[in-house]
Amino acid sequence: MDVILAAIGDAFTWQALLAIVIGTWAGIIIGGLPGLGSVVGLTIFLPFTFGMDVITSMALLIGVYCGSVYGGSITAILINTPGTPQSAATVFDGYPMTQQGRVDEALGWATFASFFGGVLSCVLLIFCAPQLAKFAVNFGSIEVFALVCLAMLCIVGISRGSLLKGLVCGMMGFFFSMVGSDPITGADRFTFGTYALSSGLDLIPVVVGAFALSEVFVRFSARDEEATTIPEARLRFPSWREIGRRLIELVRGSFIGSFVGALPGTGAAAAAFISYAAAQKLSPRRANLGKGEPDGIIASESSNNAVTGSAFIPTLALGIPGDVVTAMMMGAMVIHGITPGVRLMADQAQTVYALFVVLIIVNVAMLILSKPSIGLFRYLFKLPLGFVMAGIVMFSFIGAVSVRGNPLDLVVAALTGILAYVLRRGGYPLAPLVIGMVLGPALESSLRRGLLISRGDFFSFFTHSGIATTLFVLIALFLIWTVAAGVLEWRAKVAARREASSAQPVSE
Amino acid sequence: MTSLRYSLAALALIGATQSAVAADNLDIIVPFAAGGATDIVARSFEPTFSQQLGVTSVVRNVAGASATVGTAEVANSEGNPNIIGYEPAGALTIQPSLKKLPYGPDSFTYICRTVSNPMFLMVSKSSDITSFKQLVKESQDQPFLYGSSGPGTLPHLAMAATVVNSDLKAEHIPYSGSGPAMNALAGNEIQIMADTETILENYDLRPLAVFAGHRLEGYDDVPTIEELGLPELDFAVWQGVVAPKGISDERAQQYADACKATVESDKFKTFADKAKAGIAYLGPDDFKAFVEKRFEANKQVLKDAGLTQ
Repeated sequence: MDVILAAIGDAFTWQALLAIVIGTWAGIIIGGLPGLGSVVGLTIFLPFTFGMDVITSMALLIGVYCGSVYGGSITAILINTPGTPQSAATVFDGYPMTQQGRVDEALGWATFASFFGGVLSCVLLIFCAPQLAKFAVNFGSIEVFALVCLAMLCIVGISRGSLLKGLVCGMMGFFFSMVGSDPITGADRFTFGTYALSSGLDLIPVVVGAFALSEVFVRFSARDEEATTIPEARLRFPSWREIGRRLIELVRGSFIGSFVGALPGTGAAAAAFISYAAAQKLSPRRANLGKGEPDGIIASESSNNAVTGSAFIPTLALGIPGDVVTAMMMGAMVIHGITPGVRLMADQAQTVYALFVVLIIVNVAMLILSKPSIGLFRYLFKLPLGFVMAGIVMFSFIGAVSVRGNPLDLVVAALTGILAYVLRRGGYPLAPLVIGMVLGPALESSLRRGLLISRGDFFSFFTHSGIATTLFVLIALFLIWTVAAGVLEWRAKVAARREASSAQPVSE
Repeated sequence: MTSLRYSLAALALIGATQSAVAADNLDIIVPFAAGGATDIVARSFEPTFSQQLGVTSVVRNVAGASATVGTAEVANSEGNPNIIGYEPAGALTIQPSLKKLPYGPDSFTYICRTVSNPMFLMVSKSSDITSFKQLVKESQDQPFLYGSSGPGTLPHLAMAATVVNSDLKAEHIPYSGSGPAMNALAGNEIQIMADTETILENYDLRPLAVFAGHRLEGYDDVPTIEELGLPELDFAVWQGVVAPKGISDERAQQYADACKATVESDKFKTFADKAKAGIAYLGPDDFKAFVEKRFEANKQVLKDAGLTQ
């Protein structure tokens, strides 16, 4: 108990609190600008932390991280362009709500769900970190393969209307992710002999092209002035009654995010897609998903922000960073003399608890700062549309190139933008492209590693472990459910048509 | 149409300011993403180094394709006195033998080696294997699996060389970094891993041998590979500074002096101590000879393990 009190004392210094406010606010803005995401934000702030003490520097970085994951939802809702890949699933329902004039409600839900997910995962982190870490270790390549397959099924859900078009885009994303070095042999593939392509296609330039640039093209090509104006950003928090009504959605999303975040090598974007897929099957209002249903925003935002807390579980408990972002955080900790690993909890309990406290304060700060941040975006988007669009193009390109400093990424972003514009004109959904790109590498390398481990026997995957079997059964149920629902819907449609035609036999 | 004109004007304005800022800065290319192990050392190296040279320098992360993209950028800047690379071992001595690259070991002006950490052959502490002999014996019925931080990385090469030169039966499973490989080791998906002291200290691991010419301080009971009856295998994770070819001797000397002073500075020493990076300075000529030797040795390992194209 003394340790916890001391830790709270460490976290409530004015330096740490100032760092949290600056970090979180900057994070929200950076996350909201298309192209600039968590990694770019952390890269900008990392050098500033070299002169600070450990808690202050971690407060700054955690603020930037959590803020950027939330910030991505603002532009996703306002202009149909997720500020970060983590918020790609927020677009599905966020933008339709904006088109219906429910901007304030959408932003309110996104903010509250982010806060809820973040805090719930902090609580889990405090009480269950060692147990969750132990469980995560049981997730070997084969279990990860099963989990990623489950997440891939999300494509089926979000391409309602035209499954074929959704699958085409999903496969395209999957193929994009295969360009570059083979993860198992290291040989170059699909590079067409071009050295520049051997580093592969990065996710950020593709996301920037697919969402931000194509949105700019769509708005420029639209003749109708009405369709291109950006609605005024406002924020209205849901009432307690509304929260109570959707509490189960919030809890489910947060738990999925917390759990996926604790697994190494998955990350917030994957968590959001998995959570959205779950909502499509389990939400009582699932029929409205994709047409502007707050449950969709909740599924996406509660889970991606829950990842921010639980991603620290493998990092702190095992010294294994789950994704690029936590790897950067771990680097920052090492600079300040904390070495994450199995002995960290025992050796430096006070520092670890102080980090937990910081995480909770960051989430509260996020809730408070959401209003001024959205206010800032309101002013930005009041500028003449041309400036706004030019700004989006500029930040998209800066973001695309700043991830790894490779000029090829500018070309990739531009070409993806054109491709995405053509696809949108043809009625193809773009989200599956991003899902394929996000999950493709995990799917491929876990499958191939699994085959190496099982010595080429794919059927032993199903009986490899209890976790794997459970996940494969879930996949089977999901598929049966989807097919059965499709057949029922089709029969109902046929019956309705027959009824209609028998009622008016002579018309037409 | 007005809006289109606005945005073009805005973009042109932004482009103009950017080119006006670019001046005579020294670019330090780090071929990994920001925040990685190499990047952290490079960023701690940079302040003292720039101070010694009397220039403003910028650490630029050019990541991708096993660090070869950034390295190629340094090699392609022939004659440019304002660019250097802070390079890992793999990009200089392994990758050129693995695939077709726009550079080779003779494409650089070698400045200095900064740090080097020998690697250990390790198993999980929860396993009951306590010696290399026992490891070899138990691998006969069912081959073990060893992990690595990716195909063609040092952990991969060290183990591939061990397997070729001993009776150990083990197969390779590559991961996307040391972290995921450690997760797999903790879950017993793989059983063996070769990596540095940092990894050894941070996880529950048991060292069985060290890939160095002599036993290490602090690990007196860990035998060298040679003591186990294998040929001497020398595998260490090191970093060094290279400049493009075609720079003046004077400039090369300036770099070398600045590097030596930086590595010997208290500031860098304190950092290296904290980050468990073993300072291992080599001057321009020694470093060049070292890289060439390692390049040939690694090429042989890749050939023996059937990994060269």
